[in-house]
Amino acid sequence: MAAPTEDEFLREKHIKFFNRCIDVLPHQYSTMDTNRLTILFFAISGMEILNSLDTIKNKKEEIVDWIYSHQVLPNESASNLSNCGFRGSATIGAKFNPTQTSCEAAIAYDSGHIAQTYTGLLCLIILGDELTRVNRRALSAGLRALQLEDGSFKATLEGSENDMRFVYCASSICYVLDDWTGFDVDRAAHYIYRSQSYDGGIGQGPGLESHGGSTFCAIASLVLMDRLHMTFSRVELDRIREWCLLRQQTGFQGRPNKPTDTCYSFWVGATLKLLDAYDLINQHANRTFVLSTQDTVTGGFAKWPDHHPDALHAYFGICGLSLLGEEGLGKMNPALNISDAAAQHLDKIHQTWRAS
Amino acid sequence: MQIKDVYDYLRALLRKDERSERALEITEDAIDLNPANYTVWHYRRQILKELKMDLYDELKYCGEIIQEHPKNYQVWHHRRVLIEWTQDPKEELKLTENVLSVDAKNYHAWQHRQWVVRTFSIWENELSFIDQLLQEDVRNNSAWNQRYFVIYHTTGFNDAVLEKEVKYAQDMIRKAPNNESSWNYLRGALLEKDLSTHPGLMEFCEELYGKSVRSPYLLGFMREIYEDRLEQGCENVEDVLYKSLVLVEALAMEFDTIRVEYWNYIGRRMRERYAPKNDESEEAGAASAAMEVPAK
Ligand SMILES: [Zn+2]
Repeated sequence: MAAPTEDEFLREKHIKFFNRCIDVLPHQYSTMDTNRLTILFFAISGMEILNSLDTIKNKKEEIVDWIYSHQVLPNESASNLSNCGFRGSATIGAKFNPTQTSCEAAIAYDSGHIAQTYTGLLCLIILGDELTRVNRRALSAGLRALQLEDGSFKATLEGSENDMRFVYCASSICYVLDDWTGFDVDRAAHYIYRSQSYDGGIGQGPGLESHGGSTFCAIASLVLMDRLHMTFSRVELDRIREWCLLRQQTGFQGRPNKPTDTCYSFWVGATLKLLDAYDLINQHANRTFVLSTQDTVTGGFAKWPDHHPDALHAYFGICGLSLLGEEGLGKMNPALNISDAAAQHLDKIHQTWRAS
Repeated sequence: MQIKDVYDYLRALLRKDERSERALEITEDAIDLNPANYTVWHYRRQILKELKMDLYDELKYCGEIIQEHPKNYQVWHHRRVLIEWTQDPKEELKLTENVLSVDAKNYHAWQHRQWVVRTFSIWENELSFIDQLLQEDVRNNSAWNQRYFVIYHTTGFNDAVLEKEVKYAQDMIRKAPNNESSWNYLRGALLEKDLSTHPGLMEFCEELYGKSVRSPYLLGFMREIYEDRLEQGCENVEDVLYKSLVLVEALAMEFDTIRVEYWNYIGRRMRERYAPKNDESEEAGAASAAMEVPAK
């Protein structure tokens, strides 16, 4: 068999790559990893965009149950409402019971993590679940407890760093739950506004260096809140666009004078989509760079050429190519960071909720 | 102890919320296995508080973990909480300096440093620290960002400071005209000013241009000065528009070809906004339309 050429997109190998990611995941109690829902998200959202979720058809139910087992539920007196969310792992020994909707007694130190709540919900949507076992009221209450005075969010009730990533997680959670009562939109928008740097890009917080990831989180949050044009003026949006376009070298870099990295083809590319400026990039150079980081043996993508692939860069490599309209890939909803098809499924769920 | 044993033991202690020396030790084992587990760090803090442990020992331990895992969110957060408890920031500049000496753009280190400098008002030596970093690597965008942060929170960009900062950026640009970071700083410092009337800017650009510098940032900056003149309603509109379109074409065709679509778009937008709209200028419109660069 001929070796694959450099610009060939190896769809089948990527499907296998994500399948392997999923296979090593649900070993309960075996590790104390706190980001397993995130890894799951990269794998199944990646497979969805590759139009290959069918390959895990017979595991779907088990995976959905496994995701629900991460939900921190309110106890009978609802004294732990502020702790509700999805936890990152079964670290503290919560019993595996995917069907319950409340728990008998809250466990000390058991609380959700905003990024895991975000990825957990998205995974359920991608897998076609109707979110019937999601305790929406509890998740909203849990989220409300995480917003800080300055409008940003911390990740857990016990305290963590607070930054733009978590503003984005919070916006996505509210959008998915179709419930913004857990979220002070004005304050969050003001936090985002104050985080625009002197160079036009947006940092993780006020005063911090502009960054492709935080710029995406900021703009996508405003789009989900429907606040983009209320928050930034025409001139300010022009500066954000130019900052993003200047990130293109061949692929995209995350900050000025940093090396290009596959994941920014999504972070910066999706931001430009949301700002109606994606057609101003050099698509050919971008595609060539992303494909140069493809692992032609194992599948997946690395951050740089000739490096080991990982789940995050495999996923964002696929996303970057989807934005470019690569053949064989589903279209993406850039603000929600899931496929269009999954976003449409969410729309249907919202219609059902609103009708009831 | 086996990995599984560490976790089983930890889970048992967590459930009882036992705050003891042995619990403190087991959190250390768990952190060794996975320093990203936020619950373990939180539990550890509860124990530290309850047992009134020596926080300076803890700072030392925390510093070691930071050196080992300088991009771990949880350990930097732990550091911040410890400093909030001790209210003693005196090791923090040194610590972040060490981390930055390995990776001068480590976002966590800069974030922590900004928080410390601002919370405890330790501004005195910050500009000279930044200057030293920029002497080592004038392309260190994080250091430029810190410079802006320091000026913004201390003197602000008043006229005297602005003049000094503009000169600083210009000197750095002369050394490396192709450096986006120093151009961004220059542009950012002048954000509140009109580029077309602020003294010396076009002269500076012409000095570089005369020395055959064709950095895309130089051409882009000159274009912005011209656009500002047009925006301010200058008299010789067609001449200024023509000059700026020549720059846009040079960017699109020769000096910044990766952004050919963007510069074409900027050219179109400038023509739409500023090209005279009466009959006799149709020719000028046609001429500039002919300058449109085809996408490669
Ligand atoms: Zn990356």
